[in-house]
Amino acid sequence: MHDFRFRLACARSLLGCCAWVLLAALGTLGLCAPAWAAELPTIQLRSALAAPGGEGRFPTDVRPFEVKLPDRWADTRPGFDGSLWYRVAFGLPPGTAGPLGRGELLAVSIERVCTTYELHLNGQLLHRAGRMTEPLAYHCNQPQLVTLPAALLRDGVNVIDVRVAGQRVNELASESSAGGLSALLVGPQPVLAAVHARQQLGLVTLPQAMAATLVLMGGFMFVLGFVNRRDSHLAYFGALSIGWALLDVRLWLRGLPLGHTVVEFLLCSLLGFIAWAAVQFLLRYAGIRLSWVDRALPTQAAVMPATLVLAGGGQMHAMATLWYAVLTLEVAAAAWFYLHWSARSASGGRRSRGLMAVLMAVVAVAGLTRLIDPWSVERWTVTLAVSLLTPLVLVIVGMRLVQQQGRALNVAQQDKKELEDRVREATAEVESKMRQLAELRVEQVTERERKRIAADLHDDLGAKLLTIVHTSESDRISTLAREALEEMRLSVRGLTGKAVRLADALGDWRAEVVSRLAQAGIESEWEAPEDLPQRLSARAYVQTTRILREATSNIIKHSGATHCAVNARIAEGDFALVIQDNGDGIGPDVEGRLDRGHGLASMKNRAKQLQGQCLVESGPGYGTVIRLTLPLDRAAEGS
Amino acid sequence: MKTILLLEDLPEIRAWLRKLVLQIFPGATISESSRIGDALELVAAVKFDLALIDLGLPDGSGVDVVTKLRDIQPDAQSVVVTIHDDDEHLFPALQAGAFGYILKEQPREMIAEQLQRISQGEPPLSPSIARRVMQYFSAKAKPAPNNAPGIPNVSLTDRESEVLLRVAKGYTLPEIGVQLGLSRHTIADYVKQIYRKLNVSSRAEAALEAQRLGLFR
Repeated sequence: MHDFRFRLACARSLLGCCAWVLLAALGTLGLCAPAWAAELPTIQLRSALAAPGGEGRFPTDVRPFEVKLPDRWADTRPGFDGSLWYRVAFGLPPGTAGPLGRGELLAVSIERVCTTYELHLNGQLLHRAGRMTEPLAYHCNQPQLVTLPAALLRDGVNVIDVRVAGQRVNELASESSAGGLSALLVGPQPVLAAVHARQQLGLVTLPQAMAATLVLMGGFMFVLGFVNRRDSHLAYFGALSIGWALLDVRLWLRGLPLGHTVVEFLLCSLLGFIAWAAVQFLLRYAGIRLSWVDRALPTQAAVMPATLVLAGGGQMHAMATLWYAVLTLEVAAAAWFYLHWSARSASGGRRSRGLMAVLMAVVAVAGLTRLIDPWSVERWTVTLAVSLLTPLVLVIVGMRLVQQQGRALNVAQQDKKELEDRVREATAEVESKMRQLAELRVEQVTERERKRIAADLHDDLGAKLLTIVHTSESDRISTLAREALEEMRLSVRGLTGKAVRLADALGDWRAEVVSRLAQAGIESEWEAPEDLPQRLSARAYVQTTRILREATSNIIKHSGATHCAVNARIAEGDFALVIQDNGDGIGPDVEGRLDRGHGLASMKNRAKQLQGQCLVESGPGYGTVIRLTLPLDRAAEGS
Repeated sequence: MKTILLLEDLPEIRAWLRKLVLQIFPGATISESSRIGDALELVAAVKFDLALIDLGLPDGSGVDVVTKLRDIQPDAQSVVVTIHDDDEHLFPALQAGAFGYILKEQPREMIAEQLQRISQGEPPLSPSIARRVMQYFSAKAKPAPNNAPGIPNVSLTDRESEVLLRVAKGYTLPEIGVQLGLSRHTIADYVKQIYRKLNVSSRAEAALEAQRLGLFR
C-alpha cells in the first residue's frame, strides 16, 4: 500500500513539473503575436519573383513570375520536382551599411522552408542548409536564421536569392514534406535571433526532448511487457511509444543518405507498425485477445509497404493517404471498443476510464491537428501543441501503466505471502498428524506386547493354577490357587488394561461386592454418585479392586457382621471410599493373626503406592470402618 | 436325557468337568474333545442339547465351535467355560451365539449353581459385558449406509436398554427385578433376548462383510 501511494505521489509530482515546464515554455514563447521593440524595423517580405533553375545564380534565361509568400508547392505546383529560385529585395536607408554605417548586424529569418535551400545575398552565396541534389537534406521542420554580413550589404536595394529544392507531392507520403517557402523576415540580428530561438524551441528542441522521453519510456515498457507474457499490453505500448518517436527521426537525422522516396516509404510503413501496436495495446489493456486480430495486424503491417512499393513512387501520396484513413479508423475502432468494454466492466473504476477517455480524446485532437496546414502563421503554436500533447499523453498513460504494475506487483506479493502462510500452516498440521500417528503406533506396539505377555501368562500359569484348583484334595490349597489365579488375572489387567471410567469401575465393584455379601447372607447398602466422568488408570483400578476384595473377604470371613454400608464420593479432587460394617471389629490381637494382619497391611501398602491412604478405624462392638482416599489426578495417570 | 459336548484341552479339568456335569445332569451322554477340529466334526454328526466350550484351545478359539453350533443346531445351548473374565474374550463368544459363560476357577458349588441357572434360562451378565453390549448396539443405532434388504437391523427395546444400564451400574439381577417391578424370571428373559439379538445382529454384520468381501473378490 505504501509502495502504491509513493508511486502515485511520484507520478503526480512529475506531472506537476511537466505542467510547469510547459507553462514556462509557453510563457517565454508567448501565445499571441510577438511584438518586439527594434531600432531598425523588421521587414516582412511577402512576395517574391520565382524562377525554376539549377545551380549558380538566379536564372536569367527563364521569365520569372511573381509569387506570394508563403508559397506552398502542394497548392501552386504539386508536380514540380527540382529547385526553384526566389528573389526578394529590400532597401536600407543610406548610411546603414558600409564601414561608416551604423554597424547594425542584420539577419534574415525563414520560418519554414522545405525541403532544403541555399541563400545568396547580392549574388554571393551565404548559406546552404544541406545537399541540394538527391538525396536532399531535410530541413522542413527547421526554422532558419542567416546572418547578413555587413560587408555585403549596400545602401539602397539589396537582393536576396533563395534557391529551394523540393519533391513532387505525389511521391511523398504526406504533404508535410511538400516543398515551399514561408515569408522572409529581415531585421536586426538580435531581434530575429530571439524569434528564431523561440521557433527553434517550439519546433525542434521540445519535440526532440519529447521524442527522447518517448523512446526511453517505450523501451522500458517494452522490456517489462516482453519479460512478462501476462503484461503484453505494456510491450505494445512500448512499441507504440518508440514508433511514434521514430516518426520524427528527421529532427535529428537531416542528411540521410537514402533517397527521399525510400525515406518516405519507410516512414509510411512505420505507421503500419504503430497502428498495429496501438490497436493491440488497446485490446490487450481491455484484456481482450482476438486471434484473428493477432494475425491480421502483422499481415497488414507487411502488406502496407508492399502496396506502397507496388503503387510505385508516383502514387505514393495517394496510397499513403488511403492507408492513413484506414489505420486511423482501425485505431479509433479499437479505442471505442476499449471504452465500451471499460464502461461495461467494473474493473478499473470510473476514474481510470475517464482518464483514458480524456487521453484518447487528446490524442485524437493531436492527430487531427497534424493535418493542419504546416504553412500557416500560427503553425508553430499548433505544432507545439501537437508535438507536446501527444507525447505527453503517452507519458501519462505510461506512468499510469507503471502505477498499475506496481499495484499488481503488490497484490501478487501479498498473495504469495498468503500462500506461503497457508503452506506453512498445512505443513505444521501434517507434521503434528505424523507425530500423533507415530505416538499411536508406539502405543499399539506396547499394547500388543502386553497382550502377548498376558496370553502367555493365562496359558501357562493360569492352566497350572486351574488344575491345582480342581484337582487338589485340600480345600485350602484350592482356595489359595484360586486366589492366585484371580490375582494373576488382575495383574494382567493392570498391565494391559486401559484407563477406566470411574463410573464403570463403581459398577463393577458394586456387582462383585453386593453379590458376594448377599451370598454370605450379609445385607448391603451401596451409595455412590452416578456418571462420574473421571478416569482411573488400569493400575489404580486393579489395586482398588484388590483392596475392596480384601475388605469384603474380611467382612465375610471374620467380622460376623450382618450389615455393610459402602459409600463412595468425590471430595476435593480425591476419590473417597468408606466401608462400614456392624461386626465385631478388629481386636487388638490383630498382629498375631497373620493373614488378617497381612491383609490390612497390604491394603494400606497398596493405597500408599497409589499416593493415597487407607485408614482403618475399629473397635470391639463398634464395627469396622475402612476409609480409602485416592487422589484422582494421579490415579488417572498412566500406570 | 441330555446329550452334552465337552471341549477342553487340559485333561484334569476335562475329567473334573465331566464329573460335575454328571452330577447335575445324571444319565447324560457326554462327548469329549480336546481339539477344535474334532469338536466341529462332532457338532456336524451329533445332536447336542448342551455344549461346554473352552475358549483357549491349542488349535484355535472355541468361538468357531459356538458359531458352527449356532448355525447347525440352533436349539443347542453353548456355554463358554473359560479362564478369562474380560469382555475382550467373552464378547465375541456371546456375539457368536453363546448362551452364557462360566469362569473356570470358581469353586464347584458355584459352577454347578451357575450351570443350573443357565440351563434354566438365566444366563449371567456382568457389568463389563453389559457395557460392551450397550456400546455395540448404540454403534448399530447409527444409520448404516449400505443396509441391504433382507438383513435385519435389530435394536434393543427400551426395557432391554434399561436392564443393561442397571447391570452396568452394578445392580444385581434380583435388585433390578425389584426396581422395575418385574419378576426375576422376566429379567432373565430380557437378558436372553439381549444375547439373542446380539447374536443375530453380529451374524448379520458378518454376513454383510462376507458379501462385501465376496463382491470384491
